[in-house]
Amino acid sequence: MGISQNLNYAYYPGCAAKQIQKEADWSARAVSEKLGVSLHDMHGATCCGAGNLQEHDPAAGLAINARIFSQAEEMGMDIVTICNTCLQTFSFANERLKAEPELLEKVNAILVKAGVRPYQGTIDVKHFIWVLIDDVGEETLKKHVVNPLNDLQVAPFYGCHGLRPNEVFNGRGGRLAGPQYMEKLIRIMGGESVDYYGKDKCCGFHYMLLNEKEFLHMSGGHSLEAKNHGAEVMVSPCTLCDMALGAYQSRSEKAMGTKIGLPEMNISQLIGMAYGLDQKTLGLGRLHTDPRPVMKSRGVQII
Amino acid sequence: MTQKTALFKVMRGTVIDDQLVQKTQDFTVPYDVTTTVLQALEWIKGELDGTLTFRRSCRASICGSCGMVIDGKSRLACKTKVLDLLEGNIEKNIASVKDGLIMIAPQRNQPVLKDLVVDIEPFYQKVKDIVPFVQDGDEKETTVSKESFGQVNMVSNCIMCGACYSDCTAMVENPDFIGPAALAKAFRFVSDPREGSKTARLQELSKKNGVWDCTRCGMCIDACPKGVAPMEAIVKLRTLAMEKGVRGNKGARHAMSFKDDIATWGVLNEPFMLLKTLRFEVITQTGNALNLIKKGKIPNPFPFEHKVEGLDEVRRIYAELEKNPLDVTTKAADSGPGAG
Repeated sequence: MGISQNLNYAYYPGCAAKQIQKEADWSARAVSEKLGVSLHDMHGATCCGAGNLQEHDPAAGLAINARIFSQAEEMGMDIVTICNTCLQTFSFANERLKAEPELLEKVNAILVKAGVRPYQGTIDVKHFIWVLIDDVGEETLKKHVVNPLNDLQVAPFYGCHGLRPNEVFNGRGGRLAGPQYMEKLIRIMGGESVDYYGKDKCCGFHYMLLNEKEFLHMSGGHSLEAKNHGAEVMVSPCTLCDMALGAYQSRSEKAMGTKIGLPEMNISQLIGMAYGLDQKTLGLGRLHTDPRPVMKSRGVQII
Repeated sequence: MTQKTALFKVMRGTVIDDQLVQKTQDFTVPYDVTTTVLQALEWIKGELDGTLTFRRSCRASICGSCGMVIDGKSRLACKTKVLDLLEGNIEKNIASVKDGLIMIAPQRNQPVLKDLVVDIEPFYQKVKDIVPFVQDGDEKETTVSKESFGQVNMVSNCIMCGACYSDCTAMVENPDFIGPAALAKAFRFVSDPREGSKTARLQELSKKNGVWDCTRCGMCIDACPKGVAPMEAIVKLRTLAMEKGVRGNKGARHAMSFKDDIATWGVLNEPFMLLKTLRFEVITQTGNALNLIKKGKIPNPFPFEHKVEGLDEVRRIYAELEKNPLDVTTKAADSGPGAG
């Protein structure tokens, strides 16, 4: 289905990881280095459009995505991303470009006229957590755990755009009874995965600007519910969920008039801790609610 | 051979003095490979407890009456097999599921009247509010091509079961949101060539509680038992509204801020995106900005360090599309009655 070999990937962190959520990018790179996963920068890759360009100008959205796919194809690699919205936007486009030869031809005609290499329709777009479980494998992931999480109670928050719609992810998305990427990763690191209703619901990020109050209640509600189910920290595989649930948590507390105090971080930061990476590399100081005290109390070393 | 049994945990509910009182009740139900959840509930009603209340009629996923929450997801009881739930053949919300059990609850986002029966009046009212019939007007076309059915086919399959409404995440925080089913229905009329009042509809739908109040979570796509994909219809309504010049709102301004940023910087320019979307209301973001500054999370309004290589290619792509516009609208296949 894809073209990557020997754990080499065209790395597409997304706009949030380049700017506001840098710690997710640092951690994904550091964890990859430990695991022998090579993330290759895409110097010519623009913003994916985040579904917004696709709403405004669907043709431009497809062409901009095809240009990025073509770059990865030229590198001989599949794209891996740490942002759910980039994943979904790309998956929508890639699914159509692969399934509709006429459409691919028309989009390529535009690319060629603009001096861009046409897309052949061969690459796959993957989430970093899929690469870890499906390509690296549980055995290798386990080998690198030097600082196990000692049954730390971890609430996974998946994020919509890595789950739905089911069809565009070839079985890797919303079949919660199927591949359980987050739960597996948490257990491999020595933590315990906490179940709660909100774990496959919406963080509200794409709703933030237009419905701020509703957004703050939505994201804060999930954090509060996870905490009430015994979670000590929350992790997400998406930089936008990180922002909504972590960076905006104190804003939710204010809007809801209640204390939440649930540390939220990117899944790569949690893996990095279990792998004994230092807190500066993982950017733990950039988190609004500090996860270090509760992890220390579980006997997890903070390096 | 002994008959296999499954444990059903059914949420019962009764309104006492205007207060809903709910509790779960356990029932052990025999099943085989053909048993549906609806048949199991009918067996409970017939054999164990005649007071168990739920709606049902056609038993063939056509009438939309037996919508309920089964193992954490909104589904039709008649279309869901007991064996599939127990064997994990279909998606479930594992947060609310224990192995070997089947959890049944009424639909969400609607008031419970009794047990599994909810008040569907608000849901129906929202569908009525979007004026669910073709209106006369200046934009009426008299020729209806076969291709135009490609747009309305999918949404015409809606059976008004309320599954999308029940699983909608935006509805939880904003009960005034029109909701996925009614918006999908609205799209069906906006894209009907015979509709005479397309732009006025799009103006109305772009207001508060309309197309821009969807979170784009995709729950409705997965919930729909008929393949209507309401979120895709909502996205198309947004596109059509912007095309028709209905752009004087935050949602449209936000969506439209990406195109130029991609050609200018390559990355999204968040400070300017805020300014373009909110205009003078950007001042309301002061508290949020100060909160982000605490952890150094304010992006540079001039992100030169992220400037992407080959942006002239992007500008040429835009220019080519300007010269030769490309119709990339998705078309639904002629699915016929009963599809999905």
